[in-house]
Amino acid sequence: MHHEPLRRSLLAACIAGCLTFAALAAAPERGAGVADAVVEKFRERNGGVFSDWSTPQAVVVVTGELDGYIEPCGCTGKENQKGGLSRRQNFLRALDASGWPVVAVDLGGQVKRFGRQTEAKFQSIVDGLRAMRYAAVGFGPGDLRLPAEDLVAAVAAVGDEPTPFVSANVGLLGLDANITPRFRVVEAGGLKIGITSVLGEKEAERIKSADVEFAPAAAALERVAGELARAKCDHQILLSWAGPEETRALAARHPQFDVVVTAGGADEPPLELPSLPGGARLVELGHKGMFAIAIGFFADTGRPVRSQRVPLDARWGESEDMIDLLAAYQGKLETLGLDGLGLVPIRHPTGRRFAGSVACAECHQEAYDVWKDTGHATGLTTLEEQRPRRDSDPECLSCHVVGWAPQRFEPFEGGFAGMKATPQLAHQGCENCHGPAAAHTAVERGDVRASTAERDRLRQELVLSLATPEGKQKAVNNCLECHDLDNSPQFDFDTYWPQVEH
Amino acid sequence: MAWDDLDARRVAAVAIVVGAAVGAAGPALEHTLVPWRVGGFRVVDTSRAGPQPRAEAAETRHEFGTVGVGATGSHEFTVRNTGAAPLTLSRGATSCSCTVSDFEASEGGSPEAKKLVPTGESTRVRVQWRGKGTGGPFRQQATILTDDPRLPEIVFVVEGTVVPTWKALPDVVVMPRVSASTGGRATVDVLTFGQEPPTVGTMTIEDSQVAQFVSLSSEPLPEAVIAAESAATGGFRLVVDVKPGAALGPLRCTARVVFSMPGEVIAEIPVEGTIGGDLVLAGPGWDSSRQALLLGTVSRSAGLRTRVFLTAKGPHRDLVRPTVREVVPDSLRVTVGDGSPIGTGGVVRIPIDIEIPSGSRVVNHLCSQQGPAGRIVLDTGHPDSPELTIPVCVAIGP
Repeated sequence: MHHEPLRRSLLAACIAGCLTFAALAAAPERGAGVADAVVEKFRERNGGVFSDWSTPQAVVVVTGELDGYIEPCGCTGKENQKGGLSRRQNFLRALDASGWPVVAVDLGGQVKRFGRQTEAKFQSIVDGLRAMRYAAVGFGPGDLRLPAEDLVAAVAAVGDEPTPFVSANVGLLGLDANITPRFRVVEAGGLKIGITSVLGEKEAERIKSADVEFAPAAAALERVAGELARAKCDHQILLSWAGPEETRALAARHPQFDVVVTAGGADEPPLELPSLPGGARLVELGHKGMFAIAIGFFADTGRPVRSQRVPLDARWGESEDMIDLLAAYQGKLETLGLDGLGLVPIRHPTGRRFAGSVACAECHQEAYDVWKDTGHATGLTTLEEQRPRRDSDPECLSCHVVGWAPQRFEPFEGGFAGMKATPQLAHQGCENCHGPAAAHTAVERGDVRASTAERDRLRQELVLSLATPEGKQKAVNNCLECHDLDNSPQFDFDTYWPQVEH
Repeated sequence: MAWDDLDARRVAAVAIVVGAAVGAAGPALEHTLVPWRVGGFRVVDTSRAGPQPRAEAAETRHEFGTVGVGATGSHEFTVRNTGAAPLTLSRGATSCSCTVSDFEASEGGSPEAKKLVPTGESTRVRVQWRGKGTGGPFRQQATILTDDPRLPEIVFVVEGTVVPTWKALPDVVVMPRVSASTGGRATVDVLTFGQEPPTVGTMTIEDSQVAQFVSLSSEPLPEAVIAAESAATGGFRLVVDVKPGAALGPLRCTARVVFSMPGEVIAEIPVEGTIGGDLVLAGPGWDSSRQALLLGTVSRSAGLRTRVFLTAKGPHRDLVRPTVREVVPDSLRVTVGDGSPIGTGGVVRIPIDIEIPSGSRVVNHLCSQQGPAGRIVLDTGHPDSPELTIPVCVAIGP
């Protein structure tokens, strides 16, 4: 039959066509399906990307210092915030779709806090990094402070799939337990790339976990350097969780690394990567995973390395896989509940209990009517409408219900404990500013007998007046508990107050 | 056949050329149909006839040194028009804590918040910033848009360090696993940036129940630690001690420290951790919230090998030498290795190898109603916890 040669010919034609298309295809600038207007808007706002890049031999994408920000909270409009695993995956996919061989590495620092929620979050983030096929992930101090049993369970190899974590000087359950390799060599676009990570001396001293063993970073790199040299890598990458000074010292001692990633920089990474005296590029990442840094390797001897700071904004769109992962994380929080998360209600500084905003309306109808038309009155609904819904997430709930400590993500005694138990405490209500009012409402209703002096004292305790500078400052400080830099960066009391004035 | 081979080669050659041409034509065709938008750059209009403005900024980066948290700073950059036509400047995007002034009409700009710079003249662009957050390295940027076709935007960068009143390193006292039998200790270095070194006053744990078994004290901070922190003028080391006998479970409280330097400062530092027993299991598949080893469904033909670790701490750690007493399902092969100390020796690590040999019989122990949990029961040698039962969720399928 003559069909087989013909089929081969057509296949060759298709392959040639596809390869040519890939070589000439546009540089990545958006996630799949994102509209022109969105791309243009965020290009204007946060700058363009890859404008002078041709197709690289390989591109290394560096991320890290996520600090627990698995996803922008979205409560003030997600498009106003950068970062999140969902956009990150779509960005990596956009590079892949352009035919660029990608190697993704992460400095570490997935979480900062401690407790059951942080443990669940760490596991979800690591699942996400595995799904994104990260080639290497280092450890940050927040990661290493997790209980060893949770850390090892999340980090260890799963069946035949190796762990993405590498470290030259950190050994979970001991350096000889071999739960993570000390380095990794990967191939992309015909280039051999060696990667290792270290935790700096200062950070290691502060962790003091008996379940984790540390070796001095410089000595550990000495050992790894020999093995990387034997692997004849084209490029070597050092992920150094240390301050910039300590990282620079390590880089000076080990000049074979041509890309050196450091922790401890400013909130925003620089536009251009500075060069170290030995010629290595120094990478800063900023905080909270808002940026990725792409480093392209080119055959062009005149300019063999280029870099791009990539803002992870709405131009990259959302990844359904990561949305599913976030939904599973939120589902776990819901299943665990406040008890399962180890959240024991703490005593309010005043020692008082909460009544709920509807109780306030019995006497303060006018103020209640104003409140009812503000965004505060639908605070919990905002969380229910997120995708995935986040109304079981203590880190969100603390500013969307009555009776929680906003910056500690913990309920006060008698605060919101779920829609079944305490529906009257849903949303951002009166008592979060004025203070718990259960005793005041009980006296005013006549449920509890009190002297006139006691009644007046209870009334006075709930007064929040803007008439004096001290009173206004108290009110501003109260607002800032939730309208903080992360969630309300544009907050200005004098601008926002008229919207809720009562 | 030879004829077929030749024909196929011809077809292949033509097809490759055609394929490559079609591939190449794809992007080209797209570019003719829609505006070229590769990357983020603006296409420079070099065809514009007549004289052009030319924007030049001798300095685009300003290092301001240090500022206090909440303090504001500003710097004037200069943009000069060296071209042959008037230059128009307007505000572009800025980082969230940066603002650009001098563009309003009251500040010399036009009603459209644009600035016109005549040929040969210069104008100032003032960038203001506010030291935010808890201190540390600071970098923000402000973009100015120009109608110079050669330089459509200029990015001004301000960098420096924001100095707080005080800061704790680390900012949370974390005690990952405190042994209930021995208690534990953690420290945090509090660095201060006032006119004088701090004088420590009262130190309290806010939660009265937790305060029964957690105590606070302070120690002087070594000079080298203070010297290593840029702009720090003093500090102290806060010591958190958890006494033996604390209840098992999460540890959460706030350490409240009052100190003066000379103005009074109240530092509230979270303390978080877990009070646990001396024996803890860790490894792939170990779910600490369910306290069960999740091995899932294993193919009987492939079998399974995995390793978990038992860690022992406290005064009896060296006595822990587990032996296997009972295994369910009985097809699990469990081998306990020798213990070895981790790092400085506060914890002993004991490997436990678990194998499901290929060919094992089909069973269901997936920790459900249909399949109750399997188990591995160890005699530990620990005087207070002589027996350890590890629930195992596993099914061996065909």
